[in-house]
Amino acid sequence: MTLPKGFGSGGSGGTSSADVERMIGRRVENMAGIITASYIAAWLATFGGTAAGYFYYPWAYPTPSGHYAFIVLTIIEAIGYIFCVKVMQEGSNKNSNGMVAAAVAGTAVGTIFISLYVGN
Amino acid sequence: MAQMPALIPKEVEIQRLKKIWLIVIAMGSTAASVEVDNFVDGSLHQTSIRDSAFTPAHWWLYSHFVALPLGWGAAAIYDRKVPVLRGPNNSMNTGLKMTILGYLATMFTIGVNEMWHFWFVEEIFAVPNHWMFNMGVVVAFMGALAYVVRVYARLVELGAETPGENPYVAEMYKMALEGKLYSRAIP
Repeated sequence: MTLPKGFGSGGSGGTSSADVERMIGRRVENMAGIITASYIAAWLATFGGTAAGYFYYPWAYPTPSGHYAFIVLTIIEAIGYIFCVKVMQEGSNKNSNGMVAAAVAGTAVGTIFISLYVGN
Repeated sequence: MAQMPALIPKEVEIQRLKKIWLIVIAMGSTAASVEVDNFVDGSLHQTSIRDSAFTPAHWWLYSHFVALPLGWGAAAIYDRKVPVLRGPNNSMNTGLKMTILGYLATMFTIGVNEMWHFWFVEEIFAVPNHWMFNMGVVVAFMGALAYVVRVYARLVELGAETPGENPYVAEMYKMALEGKLYSRAIP
């Protein structure tokens, strides 16, 4: 197999496992941390969006509507997050179920707290 | 079965396809968020006519219509690393083309929409300035579906995913692997 320039042994040999690892770079099964950080960042950004309705435009965007949108979006984000981690780690011996459970439970509790106590 | 020759090692291709999948899941969540805002925006306009471009429901819609074409553009840049996903004449994958064009249409419709509402302060769903939002999203969804099926079919082909147990779905994957799902000419 012809490899891109800079890989392999100058056209005479095959592909070594070191070449394959260099072409892959960071493996997807090791990305659970950055995926979790992205999920939490997306959840906080969602709160920032609905907070514009709670605090700045309550006349145009009633707080119960904001809470509804925040809850539905949190569910969408959580489903996407779980899909990301499970698909990236399937077929490997990596397992981040504990981190996923903690992140989803944390955002669920946060969502309930915000829906009950935040807003006018 | 007409298979593309392997141009990169299998393990590398599986990892790259899964990285594409990460982008697709992020874009899918964003698109689902637009669908939620379709209802939020609609319910807002049931009770209040258009006040300005800057009501929260519009911030929500418009930010996505900028994020989605840019995000799918990022997918297209990374997509170049997987030879089997190339389109006709080594161009961009056909599904990706449709997705990016569809969401670009929604992005430019933001401007069309604001020009229209400069004169007409209403928010009736069926007025012409809203047409391209809806048509753009539908075109983008069709392209994204074609692209996702192609990525999944390749992961099945490489043995990284198991094919669907539903015989109709399995038949669809089989046709996709043979390049016959959408066209005999376009890979």
